[in-house]
Amino acid sequence: MSRKNLLSFLGTLVVLSMLLGACTTPTPQVIEKTVIVEKTVEVEVEKTVEVEKVVEKTVEVEKVVEVTAEPEKVDRKGAWLDTIVFVEEPSADAAVTRLGVGEIDMYAYQVSNREVVEKVNASDSLDAYQSSGSYNELTFNPAGPELENGTLNPFAVPAVREAMNWLIDRNYVAQEIMGGMAIPRWLPFNVASSDYARLADVARGLELKYAYNRDKAEEIISAEMEKLGATLVADKWQFNGAPVNLIVLIRTEDERRGIGDYVANQLEDIGFTVTRDYKTAAEASPIWMRGNPADGLFHVYTGGWVTTAVPRNLADNFQFFYTNQGLAVPLWQAYVNTPEFYELAENLANSDFKNMEERTAMMAEALEMALLDSTRIWLCDRTSMTPKRKEVKAAADLYGGVSGSSIWAYTLQREGEVGGSMSIAMPSILTEPWNPIAGTNWIYDMMLIRGTGEFSTVSDPFTGLALPQRIERAEVFVQEGLPVFKTLDWVDLEFVDAIEVPDDAWVDWDAEQQRFLTAGEVYTETVTALRKSVVYYPVDLFSNLTWHDGSNFSIGDVLMEMILTFDRAKEASPIYDEAYVPNFGAFMTSFKGVRLISTDPLVIETYSDDYNLDAEMSITTWWPYYAQGQGSWHALALGIMTEAAGEATFSADKADALEVEWMSFLAGPTIEILKTHLDEVVVSGAIPYSPTLNQYVDAAEIQTRFTNLAEWYRQRGHFWVGTGPYYMERAFPVEGTVILKRYLDFPDMADKWMRFSEAAIAMVELDGPGRVTIGEEAVYDVFITFNDAPYAMADIDNVKYLVLNAKGEVAYVGQAEAVADGEWKITLSTDVTNKLEAGSNQLEVVAVSKLVALPSTDALTFVTAK
Amino acid sequence: MTETALPLPPDAETSTRQPSHAAVKLARYVSLKLLSLLVAVTIGVYLTILIANMGGYVDEILKGQIREEISVTISMDQTKKNLTVAERSRLIDELVTLEERRLGLDQPFLLRSLRFLSRAMTLTLGRAQWLSSDSGSKLVRNIILERLPPTLLLMASSNFLLFFVTLFFALYLSRNYGSLIDKAIIALSPTSAAPAWFYGIFLLLLFAAVLGWLPFGGMVAAPPPEGTLDYALSVLRHLILPVLAWLISGFFAGVYGYRTFFLIFSMEDYVELARAKGLTSRDIERRYVLRPTLPNIITNFALTLIGLWQGATILETVFNWPGLGRLLYQAIGLYDSPVIVGSAVIYAYLLAITVFLLDFIYALVDPRVRVGSGGAKL
Repeated sequence: MSRKNLLSFLGTLVVLSMLLGACTTPTPQVIEKTVIVEKTVEVEVEKTVEVEKVVEKTVEVEKVVEVTAEPEKVDRKGAWLDTIVFVEEPSADAAVTRLGVGEIDMYAYQVSNREVVEKVNASDSLDAYQSSGSYNELTFNPAGPELENGTLNPFAVPAVREAMNWLIDRNYVAQEIMGGMAIPRWLPFNVASSDYARLADVARGLELKYAYNRDKAEEIISAEMEKLGATLVADKWQFNGAPVNLIVLIRTEDERRGIGDYVANQLEDIGFTVTRDYKTAAEASPIWMRGNPADGLFHVYTGGWVTTAVPRNLADNFQFFYTNQGLAVPLWQAYVNTPEFYELAENLANSDFKNMEERTAMMAEALEMALLDSTRIWLCDRTSMTPKRKEVKAAADLYGGVSGSSIWAYTLQREGEVGGSMSIAMPSILTEPWNPIAGTNWIYDMMLIRGTGEFSTVSDPFTGLALPQRIERAEVFVQEGLPVFKTLDWVDLEFVDAIEVPDDAWVDWDAEQQRFLTAGEVYTETVTALRKSVVYYPVDLFSNLTWHDGSNFSIGDVLMEMILTFDRAKEASPIYDEAYVPNFGAFMTSFKGVRLISTDPLVIETYSDDYNLDAEMSITTWWPYYAQGQGSWHALALGIMTEAAGEATFSADKADALEVEWMSFLAGPTIEILKTHLDEVVVSGAIPYSPTLNQYVDAAEIQTRFTNLAEWYRQRGHFWVGTGPYYMERAFPVEGTVILKRYLDFPDMADKWMRFSEAAIAMVELDGPGRVTIGEEAVYDVFITFNDAPYAMADIDNVKYLVLNAKGEVAYVGQAEAVADGEWKITLSTDVTNKLEAGSNQLEVVAVSKLVALPSTDALTFVTAK
Repeated sequence: MTETALPLPPDAETSTRQPSHAAVKLARYVSLKLLSLLVAVTIGVYLTILIANMGGYVDEILKGQIREEISVTISMDQTKKNLTVAERSRLIDELVTLEERRLGLDQPFLLRSLRFLSRAMTLTLGRAQWLSSDSGSKLVRNIILERLPPTLLLMASSNFLLFFVTLFFALYLSRNYGSLIDKAIIALSPTSAAPAWFYGIFLLLLFAAVLGWLPFGGMVAAPPPEGTLDYALSVLRHLILPVLAWLISGFFAGVYGYRTFFLIFSMEDYVELARAKGLTSRDIERRYVLRPTLPNIITNFALTLIGLWQGATILETVFNWPGLGRLLYQAIGLYDSPVIVGSAVIYAYLLAITVFLLDFIYALVDPRVRVGSGGAKL
């Protein structure tokens, strides 16, 4: 009997231990698509010039350590690695374990799970690239104050919304709820942005003004509630005899559950009755996005946003996030602003300013108004990491990490090694069909697509500015008075009185005759444009650059890009796609014309009303990198023939409408169809759009191209060809494995982009007296370094400082002076110290680099006395 | 419909009914059985459609998602920045309309649900809304067929192994009732309360992370070996841990269940009589214990067979196995109704066919069972 009891006891013990152990169930991977958000920002040219003058004076004083120095040249072209094997690993936790034992070298996914982050931080063999990009806020329902169901919505009152800034402790959110993987945020600007850095003084002032102050929040909210007719009964707000019930719509997928609970607690703490409505993204969307705010189905929503590229211009955030012009959905349409804020937001969104100074002043004003409005309040910028083994290096985007970087493939290497192979895991592989026109848009697929393709310009991973990859130079002509600025030398910017579109410029496409229509044919009057860009491609472009199947890049590839821009939107076209028409319509609202100035060397002139604050990003290249990847004219020709025959389509929409397959150039049932058309065209030599293409592409090129493609297919079984540093060797869809190999004929040296293998994020250190006599001058040293070496002055945009007085108010804002590389000086003049009262003050410094759009800060406390 | 009648009627072995009459009865029974199964499948599938679509509320969810995604994408798209507010709103509306039409959301759910049903019942599985097969097909048939072989490989290996190992081990234990090993199995049977994926995590930690003997997951090494033999060996290597996890999870409870089952049958009077007659243990086990338990064993086996269809969602996730379980999980997460319904309708048909066939199989293996009430014995 006792033995049986013992066995029963042991059995129970085993089960209990398992149940307890089961608490560590791995979180299944949730598939989500990432919204790609790209913005632009202007650069303070004048300030740059000022700093450069200082460099000239002080360059001999200090031994210069070039932060941007080119790494040692290596005699290797193309990619650093010979082979990359991509494997699927849905679990970040498992991926880090695999990283730890060396089974994989990188997990190309932005992880923010705190347990995983801790594992990476605790490992000797692992580290990670940090990135920003996602941020959290609280969205308020502005309807009311008395809703249609008779209840009270206090968030209809701007003062209540503004007071919520004081009620929420953002440091608690960042440190406790986010586990330190976030930084507090008060403003509609990402902290890691040039706009934030440029307005750091205003930002800091507002951050201090709206610092956590529960009592102040309660006081303001109570006063407003009383004005609304609510009464506090037994510490609970009541309206018309019923408790004021606030519904907090809480997202459940991530830390927003914790945020929602915290907000609910804070609201309960000041007398509100709170209903916590936990919902997933899909469940919440019909309520907050599509629902009528006046129905009162929610009062607060735990919102989240994502940006996957370094923002260059955040001026339109005011209009988007605060006014009814942001989105055409009921919630946004319920936004009511003061006329001043509305107008200011509109002017900023429309770039209605003359210069940077005016813009900065407008932005500063808008920031204050945004906090007064507080249609939404910002909580934190989240930090994510891309875990990797320490020896692995790549250019990781400040926002997109490695997977979102446009130059990851050029820079990925094992430190100190040339060649070899690497294994990279990602949560999902080959998620949707690959075709350049309207194929997969999954972030994981896009990383591979970027690795096999090539852009004409690439995005600086740390500033977001466009850099030339395959073009020689560009000229930008802008109508006088428009706010366009240039930063880099590869673009020439010129302001002109008027830009007329010449009669021979192509302005549209005749799908029936398959030829371009000129401005002379289409317009009866002279058409003007706001911007003209002239792009000069290298002289050796056509001889130097080849597609992966060995075909030389040609003018045909560029023409195909032009033709497909128009043809798919024309009803007469055999590849007409209704789903493309709206986007084409948007394009045509600004497009004015394009002209081939020269075919070899290739020079293209484009007229448009579309311009950007950055001249570097105001050019149209017509490079054959389509929405979802790079495409050669001959590979695309097979797709066009396939769609024209109604056998498969480029877009999912059309595929669904016709009930045929969505085209994949890589795998699946459409490969055989494409192959059939390849066989046809090899024999016939008849290509799509021949009335136009045959003027530029001769029979020999047609023959060569399709012969090359046939051989490519024979060897690899797919049609995915690009000009990127890696080519697609094999894809194993079911096994979840992709093999990329180094493209041996890639023309550029391997170290072309290596200067981006590490973000030069400055370390700032303040040093100086802890005691300052009021009325006397005080001098502080600012040391700015990167990897313990002085940060070159030429690479610093500006160094600002703020003096906060004993009350925590901004007493003074000034610019530090450059002394030497890595050394700056702050002088608190007698006037400044005279403004301070006796007590404890704070000096804050913000250094803004030209190389990285992430300001660095340090602070120091000093005591003032007479 | 299936009747187990004990004791057998006196005329059971000597039925004098006419063969033609028996055929008519059999035909009627088969027809009724098929009809009832068809009705059951139809109801089951329609319920699945309603549940998968939350009675139509998924339409609202999808509409919200579509508008949110398109609105945000367009509003923050740099290339659309220069559009006026009206132009941007029009663009968003047009794109939303197109996407809603693509997903059929422009039609009432009731109408679509009936169309779903008719297509499902005719096994026209249609197109997935969001998912595509790994190789890129949007056809639900292709999506399912692509994931079927890995699932069958994993689940068939695991289940068949588990089935036969537990069966024979249970027989062994029933012969050695009360032995130390018997007691150990009883004591360890609660360990089956933990699911296979739970053991999978431990096995991965031990054999992949610590010892490095076996892979972390996946179906085959990356890159996959070129030769067929090497490929097969690699798959086998990747199968070891998930199959082991499945075995550990199901072994003790399975053995305990069968062993108890065999013990009950081995204590029947007719078994005691056989023993008294001096039959060998082997004969007793084969004729008097195993045979009457065959219907139950076959039922278990058949249900195991069709259970393979569903895969094991979390086990497949833990081992990164590209099977149907993970597919179904993804489909549910994305509200991809065609894939959910497609998977359910095939399972429903398989279940119906199995139930139908089992009636006849019971009659074949067990002389006490008749097909149809008072009908002819097959």
